[in-house]
Amino acid sequence: MSIAKFLTKRLLQGIFVLWGVVTILFGLRAVSPGDPATLMLGEGASRELIQQVREAEGLNDPVYIQYADYVQGLLVGDLGYSWRSERDVALMVIERIPATLELALAATVVAMVIAIPLGVISATRRDTPADYSATLFSLLGISTPNFWLGLMLILVLGVWAGLFPTGRRPVGLGPAVLTLAETGSISELTTWIHYIALPAVTLGTYFTALITRLTRSGMIDELGKPYVTATEAKGLPELLVRYKHVLRNTMIPIVTVLGLQLGTLMGGAVITETVFNWPGLGQRLIDALDARDWPLMQGIIVFIAVAFVAINIAVDAVYSYVDPEVALE
Amino acid sequence: MVDPILDIEGLTTRFFTGEGQINAVSDVDLTINPGETVGVVGESGSGKSVTALSIMDLVEDPGKITAGTVRYRNPEFAASIAERHPDAVDGDYVDLLAVPKHVRRSLRGTSFSMIFQDPESSFNPSITVGEQIAEAVEVQRRATTRPRSVSARSTRPEYRFSDFLLSTVFPSRGYVSESSKQEAISLLEQVGIPDPEERVGQYPHEFSGGMLQRAMVAQALAGEPDVLIADEPTTALDVTIQAQVLELLNDLQAEFGMSILLITHDLGVVARMCERVGVMYAGKIVERGTVSDIFDTPAHPYTEGLIGSIPDIDTPGGNRLQPIAGNVPSLLDSEMGTRCAFADRCPKAMQRCLDEPSELDASGSQSHTAQCYLVSDGYAEEEALPAGYFESSGGDS
Repeated sequence: MSIAKFLTKRLLQGIFVLWGVVTILFGLRAVSPGDPATLMLGEGASRELIQQVREAEGLNDPVYIQYADYVQGLLVGDLGYSWRSERDVALMVIERIPATLELALAATVVAMVIAIPLGVISATRRDTPADYSATLFSLLGISTPNFWLGLMLILVLGVWAGLFPTGRRPVGLGPAVLTLAETGSISELTTWIHYIALPAVTLGTYFTALITRLTRSGMIDELGKPYVTATEAKGLPELLVRYKHVLRNTMIPIVTVLGLQLGTLMGGAVITETVFNWPGLGQRLIDALDARDWPLMQGIIVFIAVAFVAINIAVDAVYSYVDPEVALE
Repeated sequence: MVDPILDIEGLTTRFFTGEGQINAVSDVDLTINPGETVGVVGESGSGKSVTALSIMDLVEDPGKITAGTVRYRNPEFAASIAERHPDAVDGDYVDLLAVPKHVRRSLRGTSFSMIFQDPESSFNPSITVGEQIAEAVEVQRRATTRPRSVSARSTRPEYRFSDFLLSTVFPSRGYVSESSKQEAISLLEQVGIPDPEERVGQYPHEFSGGMLQRAMVAQALAGEPDVLIADEPTTALDVTIQAQVLELLNDLQAEFGMSILLITHDLGVVARMCERVGVMYAGKIVERGTVSDIFDTPAHPYTEGLIGSIPDIDTPGGNRLQPIAGNVPSLLDSEMGTRCAFADRCPKAMQRCLDEPSELDASGSQSHTAQCYLVSDGYAEEEALPAGYFESSGGDS
């Protein structure tokens, strides 16, 4: 199947999934208790005012008309207005994407850089102290709760050792890079790195541990296959056997997990963002839930769903590169 | 008489597993002359493959070569390592079991190469066949541009992690050079694969089994080895394809003059390909000789049994197949005991076979030897074990 045909097919499937998400979200909102107009205006609002808002927001219309209005709005990118702040939801989502994306990618980079070499060492030196340490590390990493790790890192490295700043970051990656381009000063960029380090490690630890284990077990599986012996028999340097041949085949399950994880992280790491006061989508989602701000909540979740679907299509496309036997299907 | 290219003596390989020590290969002697095809024949589990892997130094944990010498004749190689490893060198010969791992590694591909049983699992499924063959070419190319004398002396790896990282960023800095890729095409052509230009870019799953085995032969030839070890090269193939692959090996041997060590359970393949044969049973070579020695005057009852179990399609109505009764014995040290490992399946087992197996003994000609009292002392009917002896004594292990 050609790549274009593959993408078209997956896009259509993706649209179907998104439609499902939107419909379920709308349904939940329709059956959830509480009158939106009252929520918006507060308990003390007059009956006339509430009635006026209900009319203006279309809340008096039959549900199917509300649904049609909502879907129609989504199709043109209109996510509605926040009940709380009365700002455009699309804008409120977009402005939080960079921070979330930066954190997600930083955590992924931390994980890959540590986990893959660790997994390879662990697998190729099985039952040595190096392997035991790596296995212990990944066990700890998988079982450490995020919020605890984050708080400990803040306490130990931030407060006690004073190595990393605590509190909300003063600058994002975009502005920092702009400053670098304009003035040649890297101070903002180093500030950014200082602020993202602890959240990235916190968010990446579980992921690191997971990928370490996957790499280790995958490598061990692969190393036992006949082609490894055959490749060694032709005199190829051991390093190439391990990395070019074995690791490459081990990457197949890793790419899957990577994609799923990245998709999840795009929804914002709710706990990590809360602990570090990180201005990402996760934090905004929590705020929206607190305030029962349905349009904002819906907007964020729709965005998460879109990101998830898109990343998974990308992962499937990468598959066919990593594993030629997986034809694009 | 020519000096052998490979002279193996007393090769012993054991596996140290949780259940105990497994004597996979015990005291195997084998010589291979230049340009000759030597067969090693036996049932599965008789230690044939481990013998091959021991020669290649590819025995995997928990296996270890515990004794023996593997002497390889190569004057240039001997001279290049004489200074650093004088103990391993004897004239033109080098004892491969006495040199360090990295030196043995440097011989893979260029001095010894190997063809495996199942081509489909012996190629990496996610790298193109052409690239994998080109790798073998590249190994040879780098070995010739970087003389052995240098590689034997330095322990520094010729390919480092930084090289690998570079190659992931810049594909042009990869291990395999463009000329090696071109060479891979002509190798594919040489082994009779049509459309080699197109085939090099294909993945193993796009090849048929027979084509893939040809590609494996091409890969094994890339390093222009002195000795080609073929481990059951035709077992996984259809009968018609088997004949083609054997034919191909014959042709290529005539062209390049390498020696072939052919490991198989198929006596038909042996008869077709080999000059000399060793029959292996329970990790030992129990009989050796020329092909006509083995087929015309088999001395060991196991060899007789093997030949008896070849279907005879020439005699109409035919004789019934005569399988060898019983199973391959356990190679677990604790269960092996000291008796002849074939005694419990042997139709002519005698009392003395239980005490100690016979040594290899001359039988007829100088080159034909068998490890059996029947050859050295003859059959003594009064010593014969009563029928059902092993069933009643629980196998005497």
